[in-house]
Amino acid sequence: MNPITADRRHFEDLVLGEVVGLGQVTVTRQMITAFAREFDPFPFHLDEEAAKKSLLGGLAASGWQTGALTLRLLTDAFLSKIASAGGLGFSDLKWKRPVMKNDTITGTGRITELRRSRSHPQWGVVTIELDMRNQANQPVMTMKLANLVETRDPVEPQPAQSYDVETGRGS
Amino acid sequence: MTRWFEDITIDEAFPLGSHTFTEDEIVRFARDYDPQYFHLPNAGAEHSHFGGVIASGWHTVVVGHRKMVDALAAEEQRLRGLGQEPGESGPGAGVNRMEFKSPVRPGDTVTYTLVVSAKRPSNSLPGWGILTNQLSAVNQRGEPVYHAELIGFSKLRDFKMPLRLRILEALTKIPGLGRLLLGSR
Repeated sequence: MNPITADRRHFEDLVLGEVVGLGQVTVTRQMITAFAREFDPFPFHLDEEAAKKSLLGGLAASGWQTGALTLRLLTDAFLSKIASAGGLGFSDLKWKRPVMKNDTITGTGRITELRRSRSHPQWGVVTIELDMRNQANQPVMTMKLANLVETRDPVEPQPAQSYDVETGRGS
Repeated sequence: MTRWFEDITIDEAFPLGSHTFTEDEIVRFARDYDPQYFHLPNAGAEHSHFGGVIASGWHTVVVGHRKMVDALAAEEQRLRGLGQEPGESGPGAGVNRMEFKSPVRPGDTVTYTLVVSAKRPSNSLPGWGILTNQLSAVNQRGEPVYHAELIGFSKLRDFKMPLRLRILEALTKIPGLGRLLLGSR
């Protein structure tokens, strides 16, 4: 028993189609330049004058910062409240529109897949589709994130009846 | 990629260098972006199946991005040193998939490598090519840390704008008419 996650929602408690509302964050000039200095030092993320002359037309956050801030919002609203056992990765990440200085981003996460791990019965995998928007409700980023969640009962409840697609036989 | 689209060789490995993750920076990133208990000190990380503090997967990814930015800047300098005009890379368009393979612990050194696995001229952005980039990260024991397939852009050196686009561009420079043409888009 993991004392940290014992009282949290486990894999069995999650519901397919469940929608998690995320909080919001306003992305300041200081946040943009601090992140860019460490992880994405392109002039259009660092310098307001250079940014005005760039394709983006003004100081914009690194797309990776938009992703990291989304992770923070998801952690606060969801991952810290479930028996999370770590991220598996993500797919189909699309940067739709740059996040500009003083934009406020928020969004939703929807549970689109729940499956048990075959090799590790103590875990299930939750897939969350994220839809991030700016203050004008314009999409800024979408992605599908996969995360491990501890199961309460490592034995999967077997359905009373199953149907074999290959043979067409019921059992 | 700071090479022209035409000069990019498919399946050539570009070493991006290494980074050693200290506990301080792992915790600093986690506090800002991923404050789950197995990324923080004194929060019970020892109870997780990792058995201790590990870096956020996203931290290992953004450091990989930083290594790529630095490697591209160095390549640009190298080409200029040879008296060549470097190509231009565009902003990232997205990530097809990112798979975390094994955790990064304090003191681990991660080595990053970039391979362009496919390229084609863009249909929607004339003058640019679309690259499929494979980024792999391995630790000091040779174990994979993550693998990513990313979409990037690179400028075409030999691009000649088609006649209809050149005519359109000339027309948009006529006052009034330009606004009409652009405004109707």
